[in-house]
Amino acid sequence: MKQEPKVRNQGTETKAGIVGMPPLAVIRKLNEERATIFDLDEPIVKKNMEDALPFLPRVYCAVLRTVVLNAMNLDLDLIYIDVGAGKCDSALHVAAVLRHYLDIPVIETRNSDTHPFGTVVCRSKMDLLKKMELITGGVTKTKPPNSTLPACIPTAGFWGVPPRDFSLLTVFPKTTHIYGWTRCMENKTPADIKLESHYNSDIPTVFFAQSFCAKTALAKLLADKHPHGLFVDADVTAGSSAKAKIQAFLELSGVSV
Amino acid sequence: MILADFGTSYCKLQDLEQPGEEPRIIPTSKIDRKMRVTLATGHNGRRFTDHYVNELTALARGGESLIGKESYVLLDCGSRDIKFIQYEKGKLKDMGWNTECGASMGFTIELLERYYELDYNKMEVPDRTFSITCGVLGMSHIFDSITTGVSESEAVASFVKGIALNAYRFAGSPETLFLSGGLCANTLFVRSFPCKVITLGRFVLLKGLAETARQKGIKA
Repeated sequence: MKQEPKVRNQGTETKAGIVGMPPLAVIRKLNEERATIFDLDEPIVKKNMEDALPFLPRVYCAVLRTVVLNAMNLDLDLIYIDVGAGKCDSALHVAAVLRHYLDIPVIETRNSDTHPFGTVVCRSKMDLLKKMELITGGVTKTKPPNSTLPACIPTAGFWGVPPRDFSLLTVFPKTTHIYGWTRCMENKTPADIKLESHYNSDIPTVFFAQSFCAKTALAKLLADKHPHGLFVDADVTAGSSAKAKIQAFLELSGVSV
Repeated sequence: MILADFGTSYCKLQDLEQPGEEPRIIPTSKIDRKMRVTLATGHNGRRFTDHYVNELTALARGGESLIGKESYVLLDCGSRDIKFIQYEKGKLKDMGWNTECGASMGFTIELLERYYELDYNKMEVPDRTFSITCGVLGMSHIFDSITTGVSESEAVASFVKGIALNAYRFAGSPETLFLSGGLCANTLFVRSFPCKVITLGRFVLLKGLAETARQKGIKA
């Protein structure tokens, strides 16, 4: 049965939801149309995660449960959902769920963009949380967030996707370099598995993935291969044990936080 | 200088200005909520101190100080959680902290001993092992087993062995395991591990706090 959106869009401006990183051509088109873009991967709607239960199992990626929660409660006109190598197989199935319950176009995309935009923010000296916000904020734009930030010498590494709960990032030092899919995000090449698999073996690195995400396999593999890596997964919120684990790992590895 | 490990069921306190004095063990429910200590660890510890030390860090520092080896695995089994530290050639290799699927193992073991009026130090390790990942969920194995005619003590022993095996796998299945926490005093639990176990007792985290105070130059 179709789900009636909670608030109907009364205006004329197009409200577009995006999931993952749709191709640059899609973002460019939405920007030219002056559409308001909502990054559905991020917690926008302040609702209990349990409200996603009618649509998705409880044991499912928290980012995709967030997507569904947003999509069901925002007054959107259409959704572009990236599926395949640039996102994950689960997004493909979530696209089917959204299409079933919503009465708006749910358009699947497969981002195979290869033009590199650079990874300046990933290598800069700044609070990790702030860096992550800059990178995820860039998903609605067709230009890199900032090209003037100087690179710093890294003392720690964060590999992975932007976590559902950004508070996980507060325990890292400013000199943390970002790797994994987040680096691909800034580079605007989300399907670049070679870039995603890249890490710096000279610095202690936390390999993070959302619990129940297929990327946990890659995160664990790379953490095992890395001479000084720690695999961490977290579900909806970053619990105190996940943060304490990272904190202890950095401290015991001699990283000044 | 007072050091304290504020655990879920018990708190361990030591006054470094009273050399030779054994640390005190106080049930957490009996702790004065207005108490202040110099350094604290444990999941209840933050409110009692200005110098809080992460439990894994305290465990690692305590292990470094007590074990004196370049490579080892140290597992701490508490009431509420289990955690381990692995060092290889003097460097941190791996670590883990399980508060969800390993939840309440120590707490459940103690609860069962009292409920069934057992003495773990007089019980034999059974052949049978229950497959257990969580103290709470694992209890259903005991009840199911008892209904099939297995004695209460054998069913509980199989449960304890299952918990030991789960903790052993969590710590990466080492050949030799250094064990810390209150369960070191439970001989059934210790003998249930399928590897050599060296017990360090329940004050390893306090030792880690003392080491942290020394390294950071913290005074009372």
